[in-house]
Amino acid sequence: MLRLNPLAIVPQPDSRARERGLAALAHADALYNLARYLTRNPADAEDLVQETFVRAVRAWDRLAADSDLRAWLFRILRNTHLDGVRRQRRSPVEVGEAGGEEPDAWLRGDFELERMRRLVAEEIEEALLGLAEEHRTVIILDLEGLTEAQVALVVGCPVGTVKSRLSRARAALRAKLADYRR
Amino acid sequence: MDCSDVRRSLRDLLRHRLEPPLADEARAHLEGCAACGRARDAEETLDGLLAERLPRHAAPAALKRRLARLADPAPAWGPPERGRWTRFVAPALAAGLAVASGALLLERHAGRESAALERLTDEAVNDHLRVLASQHPLEIESGGSHQVKPWFEGRLDFAPVVPLPEWSELQLRGGAVGYFLDRRAAVMAYSLRRHAVTLLAFRSEGLRWPAGGSPAAAAQVQASSARGIHVALWRAGALGYALVSDVAPDELARLAAAFAAATAP
Repeated sequence: MLRLNPLAIVPQPDSRARERGLAALAHADALYNLARYLTRNPADAEDLVQETFVRAVRAWDRLAADSDLRAWLFRILRNTHLDGVRRQRRSPVEVGEAGGEEPDAWLRGDFELERMRRLVAEEIEEALLGLAEEHRTVIILDLEGLTEAQVALVVGCPVGTVKSRLSRARAALRAKLADYRR
Repeated sequence: MDCSDVRRSLRDLLRHRLEPPLADEARAHLEGCAACGRARDAEETLDGLLAERLPRHAAPAALKRRLARLADPAPAWGPPERGRWTRFVAPALAAGLAVASGALLLERHAGRESAALERLTDEAVNDHLRVLASQHPLEIESGGSHQVKPWFEGRLDFAPVVPLPEWSELQLRGGAVGYFLDRRAAVMAYSLRRHAVTLLAFRSEGLRWPAGGSPAAAAQVQASSARGIHVALWRAGALGYALVSDVAPDELARLAAAFAAATAP
């Protein structure tokens, strides 16, 4: 991904933009964390977060005062990521629902749960990274504490879709985790 | 509420987002339904795994500095990057003045040495504090260096040594990949009794390092402190190491000597 020169593209600051800029900085860690799970790569994640800030700074004027800044930043980050993926593939990104197990397929009893409790960080990360992009996104956003309504703002779909997508994402993750420690 | 209603509401129930009457109904159903109880246990187990063990990656300090410039490019943002001016202009100026005053040159040299040590110390302490403050500091949790060292393969473009002196009470807790200034670093977390000890390994190329560049100086351990936390710095081959902790300086020095011997090429 292209490395941007931050100083070359910044518009003249005003006090409101400055205030928003500082508020946005508070979300840098959360944005970078999602970027890591989207790009699977620290260098690309850094570029993605930086480009997110560049786009956000350019669009401050279009952000209403009572908007949800965090959800807005996550939305820019995800769209920027999808734009990059589209450019690389030179073809439309699949936007349909990723497949997943039926929500009850993972209920294999207490032994299964006990085995899951012994999983280590690396296994959980690997399993999550193995999911489809839209599943990774909703799981990380849910983990960040966003409500389903906020996640819907980020991914641009109805709340009901988010609910079912999150349910399928968690089922798919459980299925992957169940493959470890066998 | 039947089983299907309860399963649909489980996430909201666990997130405390269900209206009180519905939450009471769901809890009553869960008490009497083993299948739904297992579903709740599974949800809670996954929540626990994700919250406690999934690595949460913090934005590197260098990225945050770039974002801060983007977010607030006003001149009042902060002091200019230290050393930029002195790197290019001051050496020429100092050389001219040295003709008139050798003492001044020596003083400037000492100043640069001191600034280099201060910069490395500050970054090492910041990284150590980041490990302590992070909710998920470790990407690999470990029972020994035989697990942690191979984990770094493919994650870094160098192979850090993961020392663990047998004579000490030091315990290796795990490792992660982080940043030291502008470069990637292996972060190894230890505990010594109740103290946290962090070892950072990174490429030392291009870093201004105190005590010159001779092989003897490279192997030498440099001790410093910042904000009540002590740091030992040394180089081994192309790598730099920083050992950081709030243990007593003499204890850290003993550990650093053992670590430096273990990391020697």
